[in-house]
Amino acid sequence: MTKVLLIEDDGETAEEISAELIDRGFDVEWSSDGIEGLDKARAMRPDAMIVDRLLPGIDGLTIIDTLRKDQVRTPVLVLSALGAVNDRVRGLRVGGDDYLTKPFAVVELVARIEALLRRPTETRETILRVGQLELDLIERTAKRDERKIDLLPREFRLLEYMMRRSDQLLTRAMLLEEVWNYKFIPTTNLVDVHMGRIRHKVDQPGETPMIHNVRGAGFILRALS
Amino acid sequence: MYQLQFLHSNTFRWAFAVAGLFATFVVVLFGFIYFNIDDYLVARSDHMIGTQTDFFVSLPFDREVSAIEDHLREDSRGVQFAGLFDPQGKRLAGNLERLPAEIRVDAPIQAVRVTRSNGGQSGDPLIRAMARRLEDGNIVLVGRAVDETLEISHVVGEALAFGLMPAFFLCLVAGAWLSVRTQKRVEEVNQRVQRIVAGDLRERLPYRNIDEPFSRLAAIVNGMLNEMETMINALAGVGNDIAHELRTPLTRARLALERGRSKATTLEQLQQSTDKALGGIDQSLAIVTALLRLADIENSRRSAAFGNVAFDDLLREVCDIYEPIAEDKQIRLSVAIEAKLEVCGDRDLLFEAIVNIVDNAVKFTPEGGRVDIELVHGDRGAVMRVRDTGPGISEQETEAVLRRFYRSEKVRNTPGVGLGLNLVAAIVKLHEFQLVIHPGPGGRVEIVCTGKQMGLETKREELFLRA
Repeated sequence: MTKVLLIEDDGETAEEISAELIDRGFDVEWSSDGIEGLDKARAMRPDAMIVDRLLPGIDGLTIIDTLRKDQVRTPVLVLSALGAVNDRVRGLRVGGDDYLTKPFAVVELVARIEALLRRPTETRETILRVGQLELDLIERTAKRDERKIDLLPREFRLLEYMMRRSDQLLTRAMLLEEVWNYKFIPTTNLVDVHMGRIRHKVDQPGETPMIHNVRGAGFILRALS
Repeated sequence: MYQLQFLHSNTFRWAFAVAGLFATFVVVLFGFIYFNIDDYLVARSDHMIGTQTDFFVSLPFDREVSAIEDHLREDSRGVQFAGLFDPQGKRLAGNLERLPAEIRVDAPIQAVRVTRSNGGQSGDPLIRAMARRLEDGNIVLVGRAVDETLEISHVVGEALAFGLMPAFFLCLVAGAWLSVRTQKRVEEVNQRVQRIVAGDLRERLPYRNIDEPFSRLAAIVNGMLNEMETMINALAGVGNDIAHELRTPLTRARLALERGRSKATTLEQLQQSTDKALGGIDQSLAIVTALLRLADIENSRRSAAFGNVAFDDLLREVCDIYEPIAEDKQIRLSVAIEAKLEVCGDRDLLFEAIVNIVDNAVKFTPEGGRVDIELVHGDRGAVMRVRDTGPGISEQETEAVLRRFYRSEKVRNTPGVGLGLNLVAAIVKLHEFQLVIHPGPGGRVEIVCTGKQMGLETKREELFLRA
C-alpha cells in the first residue's frame, strides 16, 4: 500500500485529509508537529509527503530542506496559507514538488498527490501512445487510429500533458499551471472551453470517448480497454 | 516643567553666547576708542606744554614771572600748572609749592605728581610736565593736568553701564522667551500628535497664516495628515465593502446548507444543495484571493522577477488563449501589432494584466461583436489598446471602475468580483506605465508604456483575423 506522511498541525484539517486519502486506498500516517514529522519521515520512508508550512517545532520548509540534504527524494506537496507568488517560489525552491494554497478542495489535493506519486518517467520515446491515441513529438502530429487530428500548438501541449498522465484526474488548476503556465486567472472556464475543443477533435461522434469530465473536479484521459 | 528647562534649551544657549560675544565686542570697541582718545589728548597737551615752555625760556627773567602769572590767570579750569624755581628748587613764581622731586630737568615730558601752592582742590594731581633750566640757572616747569581722560573713562563706564548691561540682559531675556515659546509650541504639537495617535484623525497641528518656520512645518504636516486621513478612510471603506461583498455568497451558502439539512430527502437533493453551498464558498474565496493578490501587487516593489519581456509575444499568446472563448460567443477577436516591443517588467504580471483586460472585453461584448487588440506607436510611448463593441464604460464611470468592487449597473448579472481592473491598475502602476480608460460607447482600454518606443524596423503589419 502507498504510504503517505501528513504533517499538519490543525487536527480537523488533518482528519479530513486522512479520511479522504484512506478512502482512496492510501496508508496515512499523521504527525502534528515538525520534529516528530521529521523523525517519522526518516523512520517510515513514505512514498509521498504532505507538509504544512507553518508548524510547531520546525517549519515545513526546513523539514523539506533537511530531508533533501539527506538525499531523501520523496515527493512533497507543500500546504500553505501564504499564497503570494514569492512564497510559492520559495516553497518549490527548497525542494517541494508542488504547492497548494489553503483553502483547497480535497479532490485537488488528492489529484496532486496522485500526480506526484505517478510522475511520468522521462522516456526517450518520441511517440506517446494511449490506447488508440498516438502523438508524435518530433513531427508534431496526432492520430486516433488512422484518423489524423489537427491540433493548434496549445492544444498539442495540452494533449501531450494529458497523455503523459493518462488515467489520472487532472484538475483545472493543475492544467492552468502546467499547460498554460498561468498562476492567476480571471476565469476558470478557459480550461473548459479549450478542453471542449480538443475533446471535439479527439472524440468524434460514434467513437468511444477518451476524455472524461469529472464533475466539479477536472478531466481524465482514459485509454480504452 | 518647561519653565526651567529653557536654561538647557538650544535657543537659550545660543542667545547667551550671542549676548556674551556682543558684550565683549562692545567692551573692546569702547576700550579702543578710550585709549585712542587718551593718546590723542596726551599728545595735544604735550604739544601745548612744549610750546609754552619754549615761550617762557625765550623770555628775559623780569618778564618771566609776569608771563607765568598771566598764563595761570587765563586758565579758568585750573588745569594749567607752571612754576619758576631757583637752582636750589625754591619757588620763585607759579602755582606749585615746590619743584617735584621726581622730575628730571631738560628731559622729555613726563607724568609727575605735584603739590599746588595754594592748597585747596583735591589732593596732589598727577600731571604731564616738563622742566627746563634757564640760562641764569633757574628752572621753569610747565605742566598740564590730563584729567579729561578720566572724565572720558567715566563717560565710557556710564555708557557701558546704561547701554550694554541692559542690552545684555535683554538678549538673555529674549533668548529665554524664545526658548520657552518654542518649548510651548513643541508641547502643543506633541499634545495634538498624541491625540492623532490615539485615533482622532481629524486633529491638525496649530497653524497661523504667517511666514514662520513652525507654521510652514505645521502646514506641511497637516497636508500629509489630510492625505493619510483620506487613505485611512478609504481603507475603512474597503473593509466595509469587503464585508458586504463576502456576505452575499456566504448567505447563499448558508441558505443552501440549511435547506439541504432540513429539506433534503434523497442523497441527490443533499448533493445539490451542498454544491450550491460550495459555489457560494468558492465565490467568497475567490474574493479573498483576489484581494490578497491585489495587496500583494500593490505592496511589491520592482523585484528580481523584472526582466526583458517581449510585449508583442504576450499579446499573441493572450489572443491565442482567448480565441476559442471568443469564438464560442461568436466574437471576432483580432490582434494587430505594428512592431516588436520589448519592455522591462514582470512577465507573469503583465500577462495577467492583459488577460484581465481582454477577459473583460470578451465578457462584456454581446454575441456577434468584436474585440480588437492593437499595439501601436503613440506620442508618449507604445500603446497597447483593447477595443470592443460592448457597452463600454460611461464618462462618469471611468474613474469609478478603478474602485474596489465597483461593478457597473449594466453588468450586475455577469459573474465576477469587480476587482479585475484594480489588479490591472496595480500592475500597470508597478511598471510605471499608464492605464487609460476611454468612455464608451464601445470599450476602449489602453496601457501606455510610457517612454517605451517600439523597434524602429517596423515589421510588415501582422494581422491575425479569426472568425
